[in-house]
Amino acid sequence: MNSETKRILFGLYDDDEQVLDAVRKAKSDHLDIMDVYSPFPVHGMDEALGLKESRLHIAGFIYGALGTLTAFGFMTWVFTRDWPIIFGGKPYWSVPAFIPITFELTVLFAAVGMTVTFYAVSRLWPGAGNPILHPRITDDKFCIAFDTTTCDEGEISRLKNFFEATGASLVETKEVSEEA
Amino acid sequence: MSAVVSPIREPLVRGHKTYHQITEDICAPTERTPGLAWVLAFTVAVAFLALYVFAVAWTVWFGIGTWDLNRTIGWGWDITNFVWWIGIGHAGTLISAILLLFRQKWRTGVNRAAEAMTIFAVVCAGQFPLIHMGRLWLGFFVFPYPNTRGPLWVNFNSPLLWDVFAISTYFTVSLLFWYTGLVPDLATLRDRSKGLRRKLYDMFSFSWTGAAKHWQRWEYLSLVLAGLATPLVLSVHTIVSFDFATSVIPGWHTTIFPPYFVAGAVFSGFAMVQSLMIIARKVLNLKDYITIEHIESMNKVILVTGTVVGVAYLTELYIAWYSGYIYEQFAFYNRVFGPYYWSYIGMMACNVLSPQIFWVKKFRRNIFLTFLLSIFINIGMWFERFVIIATTLARDFLPSSWSYYSPTWVEISLFLGSLGLFFTLFLLFTRLAPVVAIAEIKHILKSAGDQYTGPEATHKHEAH
Amino acid sequence: MNQFEFTSRQKRTFFIMMGIGLVSMLLTYFMDDHYKHLRFWTNYLHNTVFFAGLAFISTFIIAAFVTAWAGWYVLMKRIWEAFSLFLLPAIILFIPLIVGLWLGWHQLYIWNDPDVVAHDEVLQGKAGLLNRGWYTFGTLLIMGLWYLFAKKMRDLSLEEERNGAGPDFAYHRKLRVWAAAFLPIAGFLSVPLITLWDMSLEPHWYSTLYFWYTGASWFVSAMAVTVLLLFYLRSKGYFPHITDEHIHDLGKYVFAFTIFWAYLWFDQFMLIWYANVGEETAYFKLRRDFYPVLFYANIFVNFALPFLILMRNSTKRKVGTMVLVAIVVVLGHWVDFFLMIKPGPLMEAQHLAGEHATAGFVPGFTLPGLLELGTFTGFLGLFGYFVFKKLTEAPLEPANDPYLEESLHHHA
Repeated sequence: MNSETKRILFGLYDDDEQVLDAVRKAKSDHLDIMDVYSPFPVHGMDEALGLKESRLHIAGFIYGALGTLTAFGFMTWVFTRDWPIIFGGKPYWSVPAFIPITFELTVLFAAVGMTVTFYAVSRLWPGAGNPILHPRITDDKFCIAFDTTTCDEGEISRLKNFFEATGASLVETKEVSEEA
Repeated sequence: MSAVVSPIREPLVRGHKTYHQITEDICAPTERTPGLAWVLAFTVAVAFLALYVFAVAWTVWFGIGTWDLNRTIGWGWDITNFVWWIGIGHAGTLISAILLLFRQKWRTGVNRAAEAMTIFAVVCAGQFPLIHMGRLWLGFFVFPYPNTRGPLWVNFNSPLLWDVFAISTYFTVSLLFWYTGLVPDLATLRDRSKGLRRKLYDMFSFSWTGAAKHWQRWEYLSLVLAGLATPLVLSVHTIVSFDFATSVIPGWHTTIFPPYFVAGAVFSGFAMVQSLMIIARKVLNLKDYITIEHIESMNKVILVTGTVVGVAYLTELYIAWYSGYIYEQFAFYNRVFGPYYWSYIGMMACNVLSPQIFWVKKFRRNIFLTFLLSIFINIGMWFERFVIIATTLARDFLPSSWSYYSPTWVEISLFLGSLGLFFTLFLLFTRLAPVVAIAEIKHILKSAGDQYTGPEATHKHEAH
Repeated sequence: MNQFEFTSRQKRTFFIMMGIGLVSMLLTYFMDDHYKHLRFWTNYLHNTVFFAGLAFISTFIIAAFVTAWAGWYVLMKRIWEAFSLFLLPAIILFIPLIVGLWLGWHQLYIWNDPDVVAHDEVLQGKAGLLNRGWYTFGTLLIMGLWYLFAKKMRDLSLEEERNGAGPDFAYHRKLRVWAAAFLPIAGFLSVPLITLWDMSLEPHWYSTLYFWYTGASWFVSAMAVTVLLLFYLRSKGYFPHITDEHIHDLGKYVFAFTIFWAYLWFDQFMLIWYANVGEETAYFKLRRDFYPVLFYANIFVNFALPFLILMRNSTKRKVGTMVLVAIVVVLGHWVDFFLMIKPGPLMEAQHLAGEHATAGFVPGFTLPGLLELGTFTGFLGLFGYFVFKKLTEAPLEPANDPYLEESLHHHA
């Protein structure tokens, strides 16, 4: 693991509608946005940034199906092969009695699987050490960040002009180290 | 913003808040030294928790014989408490999940606290079946694991085992749902703090940054978890009701039990949320976020579910008559006029009759009355479970084994002690994490803040 | 196009449908005279209950949405208003059943036979409710009361349309009071009515969940019928402001209540199966042993199929899939009611005639035949004619509802 330093230029906006307009402008100006940070999910940001729809639900479906099969298969095996029990004069393979546990494990597998997947693919876990550009981003500021590690002066001043034109209240450069 | 809001709706965030003001207001309780009220409350809660530990130790040391259960009445306060706590543990997921799917925006003010409450209530609930087993340290026997006895598996056909799966799943999923919602707000706390506190909050917030892609996935995850939690929350109390309804005991074996238990759970859960939030909004100074509109909306849910429960009570009585089955008829006669008639009266008065005052708007918006009533309902719902459990068992098929049961000091201490456990956890929560979901309140500010909507609006939005 | 025009072509179609229904019913009546024309009378009861239920549950839907301060549905509220007014024709549809009860035209309900009751202690115990008087006045008074609410809510909605929202939304605030009051009335009074209409067809059997189960079946059907009607009217150019978002929400309701229906089905079945009390299992044993096709198809068509199809969000927005699912669901729940209503009277009648019920094929009972579908077509024609007639009476998209803007800007 070698550590790399990134130079990030970011601007802070005061309002969600303002940052949304800025993102749209950046897109039409073909500026390469590294990321946008906000204190809450901004409505319409996904489309403005052109983010692809999340595929978490597909993962969720697979985990859920796995839970269904695990529960139903296991109970079937136990009561028809391993240790059959008669209860209340019912057949060994009593499907109605298996349904509650099958349902619970379906939900459990889907929920746990999806949540773990979410944190893993988002690189979020205790001690992940993601760079925090500005403390007000989780409060009331909306941030657009550009990776300027390889940018020349001309490109940087173009970005600064962009921030000025779109009404950013603060523009800063920050060096962050990122493990690659 | 594309949110168009009807002018008939009342604003849900008062005081012309800005985003920053919201952060300040909601983070404040976690950042200042606790006030006298909190310290006193916490001391009392911990004292009761100590009582709980003592009572559990007593039960384990001397055995279940220290309770007044007998061969006829094998379930008493223990299972009553279990069902009561589980019921209370339904409100959080209900508010967060079902109201999210039904687009009831007012949920945003109360969902975080309600979810926390859910988890703590489930923690309390889970204790009682374990204590009842007597040998607490063998509690893990309830899980199916390869063992040296055959392996002899647990009985997957037993509703008691379904309970094990339902409650552990419910606890896990509620925890994930609540914590995932909490992560961005913990990051807010992190960015406002320094030193060790900052390091800890960074750890607990999983190093959250607020990146757009994260938010997208986060919203997606919240929605799917809400979708999963909705049938889950229904299933939990359904399965608890199966404990009774799969039997052949008259008064227990009735098909309406599953949805009726769920309605009752929602009812008691909302009552507990009301009790807690009415105090919290005052003590933590959150009146602009948990407004009178929130309280009124919850009172409406209480009225609806109270009436649903009423329909179910009467349907049971009616079918007992209609069935023409003498044991069924006797079971219900016994409920109303038997030795525990007082608990039936308590149940009816608290659960069905008292919420009817909420037909009057003035009463729905009266804080003191709401608080009083929420306590009534908590008591009434406890009575409901007691009626179902003790009354039914007290009058067996064989009159020679008829019996009466009243709790010993150990059982009472266990119940009061579990309240101590619950409040200790809840009070700690109010100090360690934001009681109101910060990011979500900011998200709805422009559609529900009083500067944007309602009679005092100063910023009108153009619809597009 | 906001004013609905009931074209003569549509009228003709509905009349043809009603004609088919009438012919089917006459054929059923004269071709099959077993047990006092039981096939005809069960068909008539089955469809009357199904469509009366659609009207009742639509009233309930309006009341629930108004009480919950929902906004999204406002554009389509006229459809449910029109459905809810069908309560009035539904009352009239019950008249032949009631008169028949007094004059002995049919033997749907064995509790109406004094000879049977004289030898049956259980039925004597229930005679306080299961009698002609209660059936007559219960049906007329309770349905009359429901119609009163449906009419009042419709009137307030139309007054709002004509006179504007009123000072401080006066009409809507009044509507809220009527809507909230209807909810407990619906909850309490549906219990005796469903007992009298359906549950007492097998008067020895009882289940506390039966009422909510019936209600859930009506609910899903009503939502599916709404989807079909909306798609039809949109294809004719009406409802220009109803978008995929609204359809998506209706799809969610069909999906959610499909699950809810299955949940209630499972609760009722599993508890009775598990406890194995003879009086209760009789109901499911009859259906499982003598009506196995419908018994299993019911779960598959009304749960598995819509559940798997509607699970994905995108399918709730596709016209083709939604229409398919809605048709399947409406027919499926019609069959659900078939299975609730038809087996009981046949079994009781066979029993009364001293015959042994066997698993053999009984035309019009074991499976719905052409005559059953014809009868359904007739009722559907009547329902459609009435609903279209009511749709002409007011602009389709309401103008003055306080939530209109929210509905216009709805995002699912």
